[in-house]
Amino acid sequence: MRSPFAYTPRPGPLQSASPGAAVAYLGALTVAAFLYSNPIVLVAAGVALVLAGRLAGAHAAVRAALWMGLTLALLIVAVNALVVSRGETVLLRLGDLPLLSNVITAEALAAGAVLGLRAAVVMVAFAVYSACVDPDRVLRALRPLAGRSALTATLVSRLVPVAAADAARLRDAARLRGPAAAPVGRVPLARRLLAGSLDRAVDVAATLELRGYSLTPSDTPQGGALVGRASVRRSRYDRRFYAVGAVVLAAATAAKLLGADAFAEYPAIEVGATPATLALSAVLVLSGLAPLRRPIPQPPSRRTASNFQSLRWKI
Amino acid sequence: MQFGVDVRVVPALAVESLTYAYPKAARPALSDVSLELAPGELVLLAGRSACGKSTLLRAACGLVPHFHGGEIDGAVEVAGVDALATGPGELAAAVGYVAQDPETQVVSTTVAAEIELPLELRGDDPSSRARAVEEVALALAIPHLLDRAVDTLSGGELQRVALAAALVTRPRLVLLDEPTSQLDPVAGDELIWLLRRLNEEWGVTILLAEHRLERCLAAADRVIAMDAGAIAFDGTPRDFLAWAQGADQALETPAARLFSLAGIEPLPVGVRDARRTLASLETADGGEADPLRTACTFSSAGPGAPIAAPPKKLREEGVRLPSNTTFTSRDLWVELDSGDAEPRDVLRGVDLAINGGERVALMGRNGAGKSTLLKTAAGLVDPVRGKIEAPTGIALLTQNPSDYLVRERVGDELPGDAGLAALRVVGLEHAADADPRDLSGGERQRLALAIALAGRMDGDELPGLVALDEPTRGMDRARKDDLAGLVHDLAERGAGVLVATHDVEFAAVVAERVVLLGDGVAIADGPAAEILSGGWYFATEVARVLDLPGIVTPEQAAKVLQGEA
Repeated sequence: MRSPFAYTPRPGPLQSASPGAAVAYLGALTVAAFLYSNPIVLVAAGVALVLAGRLAGAHAAVRAALWMGLTLALLIVAVNALVVSRGETVLLRLGDLPLLSNVITAEALAAGAVLGLRAAVVMVAFAVYSACVDPDRVLRALRPLAGRSALTATLVSRLVPVAAADAARLRDAARLRGPAAAPVGRVPLARRLLAGSLDRAVDVAATLELRGYSLTPSDTPQGGALVGRASVRRSRYDRRFYAVGAVVLAAATAAKLLGADAFAEYPAIEVGATPATLALSAVLVLSGLAPLRRPIPQPPSRRTASNFQSLRWKI
Repeated sequence: MQFGVDVRVVPALAVESLTYAYPKAARPALSDVSLELAPGELVLLAGRSACGKSTLLRAACGLVPHFHGGEIDGAVEVAGVDALATGPGELAAAVGYVAQDPETQVVSTTVAAEIELPLELRGDDPSSRARAVEEVALALAIPHLLDRAVDTLSGGELQRVALAAALVTRPRLVLLDEPTSQLDPVAGDELIWLLRRLNEEWGVTILLAEHRLERCLAAADRVIAMDAGAIAFDGTPRDFLAWAQGADQALETPAARLFSLAGIEPLPVGVRDARRTLASLETADGGEADPLRTACTFSSAGPGAPIAAPPKKLREEGVRLPSNTTFTSRDLWVELDSGDAEPRDVLRGVDLAINGGERVALMGRNGAGKSTLLKTAAGLVDPVRGKIEAPTGIALLTQNPSDYLVRERVGDELPGDAGLAALRVVGLEHAADADPRDLSGGERQRLALAIALAGRMDGDELPGLVALDEPTRGMDRARKDDLAGLVHDLAERGAGVLVATHDVEFAAVVAERVVLLGDGVAIADGPAAEILSGGWYFATEVARVLDLPGIVTPEQAAKVLQGEA
């Protein structure tokens, strides 16, 4: 079974965009999430990323990231509430507990929620990146800088899901052992997985040898392995993503200067909803529409053989 | 005639007196091997498992000795380049290699990047890379796959991608190590046709190691058979069959075996050849011999005709199961998340009942749902609808027997009396002290089965269903015969045996009933002889030759041709 975060090629603008444009766009939204603590802005950034992911077709990745992000957020909220005793609104008194706060306050819960929300937003951003940006293109873009390191990174990014699939298969085999067979603990399973991974690594090394990995610049008339120019496939959507990313960053910076990040957890919760906050939030939400694809105009309908066939069936 | 250029023909591969031993090996894997492949030849490399086929291929692409080490003596030249002095990287321009398991050969995330990698490593410029990728994709009919992620491809598609990556540098020689072993009959046939086309149109020399000879013998110009690391035969396909008849019957194709049993000469190298020979015999007999007349004309039903018994719907009222039914699935629906937007229905309302002692083959294309059905039966996958009943238990052996082997002593995998009883069932009680890695491939498979059975037996009584998932991958016919013996033995002991397989010849030998899955639906369920003689792809070679209902094995067909049936 594929990981929901695995890159899936689709014909959408975000997948077609060059890695630099996609990273600029998603990175701008992530930077906005780090710049702000105001929950209105954070929610807007999250909505934008969810929207972008869904418009790009990464439904499973967004779903999984939301599930994991919100679980993590809940954990952060719980931990923050248990360890921070600041805040005026006491909701619960716990008594004297070692290392923990003796009260649970609404402010500590809110502070935890903001931290958790930011973590969830960042996780959605990475999920959309992982599902929509081709890692081969990213690494190819990096090859002129460090060719062999980029290839190594490619191999790692390919072998990690393969190792995960191997582990799933081994776990299945362990479950299928008869009740009288010696049980398989974690250590033998891990050892077996490691041995399998080494076998795979040997196979990959052999494949790379056959594809010419060991060639040095003097071996090839073209000037050698991994030293040529990287083929950067451009997309007509690149400008759009660079522009939206720039607008998001500019708006976030300007709004910050105008006081859009008005938020205080302690001593009492204060959420500022200034015009700048609302305007920035609107810009962020709208930026989530960047991966929207213009509908392709349909040619005027003609009576084709298949239309005729369907008419016959209707009759 | 003077062409003004040097037209001397350099052999695509020349091997002379090659002897090679892997590091720490007790005996050489190759012994005094000499051969020469002319440009444009399609050569089939035959032989039993571990006879040296893969090692010869690895020597031809430079992996032996440069990657594997070991001791080597003799000479290997690929397109005039000394392969022993030159590494596999330098040879990559002249030779392409496709391994048995394409999964192990893929290093990139997308198909386009995977095909482009050898050119990138060679330092080609982007425009020539783009053109080469486009051309090879068109030649292999995979342009629609270029933007796909490699981990979403089927086995057949992945095999084509691995072939494309091997061909993109336009090598003069392509080496393939059992490329059809993981493919269904449809994808396997398509790959062989593709190789023939590449060979004819591009002039690529092809050296193809295969066990399923019936699939590719007709496409070959020449056959080289190996035995114990040495070349035992080198000649035309027809001469090879005559040689195999006397030297090693495990290498005979089913059609050749049929002719051999029926005393017909010459032995056929393929279905068309067999039909022509039978037709000529009929003509020579003045059209009197009824069995031959029938054999040489399509039966009135024709391939793919409706079978007598469509799959039963167990959920319908009035369906009564025999008292010895050990496994039932009723209206079974399974949904799997493939990472796309919506999960996909892999099984769609499958009804299946298997009785104790029954041997059933589960067949269908890659992705038809065979493995999912077995995993659901064994409780690894939860159905979204329907239910499974197996009151006396299920033992499942998955596609990779080595996944079950985690310890270094057989007895440690299977301790106690229950473990010993399981070892007895598979005939491995003598191997309790052995290291699983020292067992042969067939013995490892039996050990994995014993591990799945251990503790699921009541005394010596087996669980109600023993399921095997693609157990013949990479096996030669001798090992398949051993496995068929084990399956018959398990059924005689009272277990229902369900074998998911692509191997129609194996299914014809081992199964009494065949269930054919198509896109998650049981589309046919009936006697093996009936199902395996009623189609194009899911039909044995003998069935395709004779096209007689119910005739699927050489032995059955020989009786018909001899007028005994």
